Amino acid sequence: MHKSHENYYELIWMLAKTDFKLRYHGSVLGYFWALLKPLLMFAILNFVFSSVFADRIAGGEYYSLQLLVAILMFNFFSEGTNAGMQSLLSKSQLVTKIYIPRWTIIFASTVNSAMIYIMNLLVVVVFFVWKQFLPSPEAVMMFIVSSLLIYVIIISFSLFTAPLYVKFRDLSMIWEVLIQILFYATPVFYALQLMPLSIQQVLLLNPMAFIIHFTKESLINNHFPELWQGGTFFVLIIIVFFLSTLSYRKLSLRIAEEI
Amino acid sequence: MEKNIAIKVEHLSKTFRIPHEKVSSVRGVVVNFFKKKTYEEFEALDDVSFEVKKGEFFGIIGRNGSGKSTLLKILASIYEPDGGVTKVQGMISPFLELGIGFNPELSGRDNVYLNATVLGMTKKQIDEKFDAIVKFSELERFIDQKLKNYSSGMQVRLAFSVSIYANREILLMDEVLAVGDVDFQKKCLQEFERYKQNRRTVVLVSHDLASIEKYCDRVVVIDKGRLVFIGQPNEAIERYTTQYIHPKR
Repeated sequence: MHKSHENYYELIWMLAKTDFKLRYHGSVLGYFWALLKPLLMFAILNFVFSSVFADRIAGGEYYSLQLLVAILMFNFFSEGTNAGMQSLLSKSQLVTKIYIPRWTIIFASTVNSAMIYIMNLLVVVVFFVWKQFLPSPEAVMMFIVSSLLIYVIIISFSLFTAPLYVKFRDLSMIWEVLIQILFYATPVFYALQLMPLSIQQVLLLNPMAFIIHFTKESLINNHFPELWQGGTFFVLIIIVFFLSTLSYRKLSLRIAEEI
Repeated sequence: MEKNIAIKVEHLSKTFRIPHEKVSSVRGVVVNFFKKKTYEEFEALDDVSFEVKKGEFFGIIGRNGSGKSTLLKILASIYEPDGGVTKVQGMISPFLELGIGFNPELSGRDNVYLNATVLGMTKKQIDEKFDAIVKFSELERFIDQKLKNYSSGMQVRLAFSVSIYANREILLMDEVLAVGDVDFQKKCLQEFERYKQNRRTVVLVSHDLASIEKYCDRVVVIDKGRLVFIGQPNEAIERYTTQYIHPKR
């Protein structure tokens, strides 16, 4: 097929930047507003689990740091997948009235989510400074790799679901429920070690549980996954990403007719 | 493909499946799992072949629902054809409507950048042409205001200006001639004349037979997805009006 665009990166960046701008209305207050949801959730969970319940669940004095990181990561995942799934339909004009490669629209949505996540990480830095806790360089590396893996998961999920969502509009409701379940199946506000070993193993099959558990562990306790665990996980994510591109190619062909 | 051909369409066909009961949810799929799915087939294009030469103004006329827009959408690669091939030499404009991607909450300036990027321009190109775009639209005074404060005529002017500077070798136009007030229309027509002098390729869909006759070098008539005539504008219009608009009893 003939090419009509040679500015893919600029196109993705422009679409992402526009969404970002519209979300924050170019103001500091807008930024604060966007942060409010994860921060409120953090405040509530932090209060409930470190004040109301005993240390048994919270586990250690840096519980609040772990909780904050975990909430922001999970928030990145849930907002990113949601926005990615709805990206094509919400920009239907760019699908039906013009030809631009459709994957640029999906990518732009994930870039936008990543920008919001990076903005939110500023708060994490503030909290670490406040608590006077310095994670090891390896742990910071691990954190960056984990964030990148979440990003790849978001892209894969979006490539797979965005063309489907055009046809099946109730997918967003189904996903909302699944996200709720995933939230409890992920050690966001509890420590994985509290679970019986058999349940721990089941929970670690959830990729978000794997990422968030080991990020929390490495940041505070400097405890890393075994190489084979991390390696297998990494390879699986890459395979899933590859499959999602195949599925996207097949599903996106007739998308303009179905919107 | 020969050098002087811009677009070559061979045996193009496109069929839409229109289900009798449209299922648009997972719930619907589950509920209707054992029901027999019935649909009607609608042949929007049936074995259409033609060539557009470089530098030609090529008109497409036909009644509503005859397949004109489907044809343009396939040329722009918005739709995938079911059969046949289209070959295009040179960069083709990918849009059929003006102002795609415009957002009312953004300023005129931001919208120019957004729209031009969507039309395939790079940031550098937009920077270079920005002043000219704004000047052509005659909206210098309002360019930093939000688009929602523009009148609809102003919005269209801005959109048209961007599309003019998007500089494609081959342009697809679906009813975009009637734009803005009389003065601005005049300006657009002058721009059109310039395209013609510069020997740019334009594929034009319109119901405005007067401008088709005035500008086009060749015209095709499409009826019910079939190409029924190709040739000189006056003959095409003659045939179209006598046979398809006021058919003789």
